[in-house]
Amino acid sequence: MQAAPTPWLFLLPGLAACVVFSLYPFLNTVALAFTDARTISPGGFTGLDNFARMADDPRFWLALRNGTLYVIGVVPPLVLLPLLLALLVRDKGPGIGFFRTAFYTPVIASAVVVGLIWTWLLDSRGLVNGTLQALGVLSRPIPFLTDEWLLLASAMAVTIWKGLGYYMIIYLATLGRVPQELHEAAQVDGAGAVRRFLVVTLPAMRTTMTLIAALSAVSAFRVFTEIFILSGDTAGPGGRDITLVMLIREVSSGLDGHVGYGAALSLVLFGLTLGLLLSVLRLQAGRKGPR
Amino acid sequence: MRIRDLASTGALALAALLAASGCGIGGAGDDTPALQGEVTGEADGEITFQTWNLKADYDDYFTALIAAFEEEHPGAAVRWLDQPAEGYAEKLSVDAAAGELPDVVNVAPDLVHPLAEAGLVLDLDRARPGAAGAYLPDAWAGFTMPGGSGTYAYPWYLNTGPIFYNRALFERAGLDPDAPPATYDELFEQAVAMAEATDGEVAMLGQTPGIVDLGLYGSEPMNPEGTEFTFNDAAAVELVGHYKDMYDAGALVPEALTQDYTGSGEQFMSGAIAWAPGSAYDLANFRTNAPTLYENVGITGVLTNTGQAHMYLQGLAVSARTAEPATAAAFAEFVTDAANQEAFAREVQIFPSTAGSLDDPYFTEDDGTDESRVRVAAAEQLATATSYTPVRFSDQMQNILRNEIALAMLGDKTPQEALDAAVEESNALLGTD
Repeated sequence: MQAAPTPWLFLLPGLAACVVFSLYPFLNTVALAFTDARTISPGGFTGLDNFARMADDPRFWLALRNGTLYVIGVVPPLVLLPLLLALLVRDKGPGIGFFRTAFYTPVIASAVVVGLIWTWLLDSRGLVNGTLQALGVLSRPIPFLTDEWLLLASAMAVTIWKGLGYYMIIYLATLGRVPQELHEAAQVDGAGAVRRFLVVTLPAMRTTMTLIAALSAVSAFRVFTEIFILSGDTAGPGGRDITLVMLIREVSSGLDGHVGYGAALSLVLFGLTLGLLLSVLRLQAGRKGPR
Repeated sequence: MRIRDLASTGALALAALLAASGCGIGGAGDDTPALQGEVTGEADGEITFQTWNLKADYDDYFTALIAAFEEEHPGAAVRWLDQPAEGYAEKLSVDAAAGELPDVVNVAPDLVHPLAEAGLVLDLDRARPGAAGAYLPDAWAGFTMPGGSGTYAYPWYLNTGPIFYNRALFERAGLDPDAPPATYDELFEQAVAMAEATDGEVAMLGQTPGIVDLGLYGSEPMNPEGTEFTFNDAAAVELVGHYKDMYDAGALVPEALTQDYTGSGEQFMSGAIAWAPGSAYDLANFRTNAPTLYENVGITGVLTNTGQAHMYLQGLAVSARTAEPATAAAFAEFVTDAANQEAFAREVQIFPSTAGSLDDPYFTEDDGTDESRVRVAAAEQLATATSYTPVRFSDQMQNILRNEIALAMLGDKTPQEALDAAVEESNALLGTD
């Protein structure tokens, strides 16, 4: 039987856009990763030189460390806190719309604006330090933005704050699908609110939690804006808070940027995030397996 | 069998990708051959002219300038493009890589170097012999490749400036606002005294030293051949050591480790720091945006151990692949001629780079206002000023230096180790590795 061409015609514009804006740049990046191309000179094939350079580049290892720490610091709160928020705003009541909107507002705010607001809050002369000093709690400001570890923690706080509302919405959608009879049955069996949450709600949320873990882990590894805005583009004092995306930008940008090396770093980032995603999904598939 | 097929297909695909990479990137986007030799002919073509964040404030000036050129050269047409300050180098690199560099383009010396190396801008020494005579020799030399031949942009406007200091903060720290530091030793001493007197609430400085500061202190940033950076010499190490002492004493704001010139300027405007380099342009900015500071601002000369202040330089390069070289070169010369540069200097509080222009009474006579005092002092300073930023010193290298100095401030490296690392990494970037 011959397939009708009409569906393909409908798909054509989307496919064309996908090839031009996603597939071709990706394939071009793969090709560039094996060259010594600069921004305005094509360069030639250099085999695995860029990957060897990466192994000797201390900033690459620093970026890898920071990315890993970011995943560890950000993923658990982004899996758990939005679920608690969703439970809080699930039931309809007076003023609930206000809270739902308030929790969601950071999601739609521009990342740059969010970064600037947090900079004003956390600066050595910002609102937090200023208030604490005025109250006599502190004699010296806390170096939120000028200490290697505090800056990383501050950036994580911004990421969590900005992501809460987004994941809360996903949980809200899933919560609505948990059968009410299960709750009622558990209640009849004498289960309290905490027990009902543990034996009814949480198992029903497992797939969504895995999805959120995967999404937030990938985003965490690709973090850029939060650290860029908070550290004034230096990647922290001495560049100690650099992430892979910041490193890619730094080595590839400008008129004499090392585009080939930047492409190799991009490929590694792609491999890492893909690996992370597949690991989480495999974990989930394992749980679903036959009993 | 299937695996072998897959491997073969993969190898073919990779080979195709690698072949594509050879022609899919870089400045080879345009096959037009680069111009060689002298550029002559009538200026009667259509060209594009790109400026760097000037449209918002100087639209009228440029519109009139372009109209005057078109009137003087019937048949010529100029299309003006203005790019925002943020990401200018990135925009330029995209245009250059695509082979779409504007015919006449506003550049700083460090932007010209890679363009010249890739053969994308005209060598004016060859294209317009004799043009150099119209400009100040140091300004022309600012676009000449070190250790090589060729000059790749017409000098446009110059800037230099005094040091501004906050008199109120000096008084608060018990320092004499009428006797600001006149030497580096006085600066180091008063900075520490200020931090101690105010219990760290007021810092003298908002930024760690950059390449210009090292040069002003007496370091030689690069060898004369332009092949190696040398800003890890004894003078540079000594200066970074002094900054480390000041940082430990609280004489630098904590943000100094991550802050650039703009951030430092904002700290000065907000009254967090007491001392900041600036230019004649800043005074008007203080009056509008920081009136309290403006009432208290003190003005003093640049500190330097070399006797030469720093000169910031802007230029106009001509694309080597322009279809209208005669029009492009004529327009660049028109924009940068003495009359037009002097007129622009009156609009913006900058200085012309044309020979003899600084002798104009506007730049030599003080009419009693703060603006004219700063202008006259800066113009006088320009007579001996030089650019301490090597043309081969890129943004990436600047970032490396800033980060290494931050590590020295934190005590993770000695000043010598930090500067050695910055030099080593910058020299590695100079090559084609």
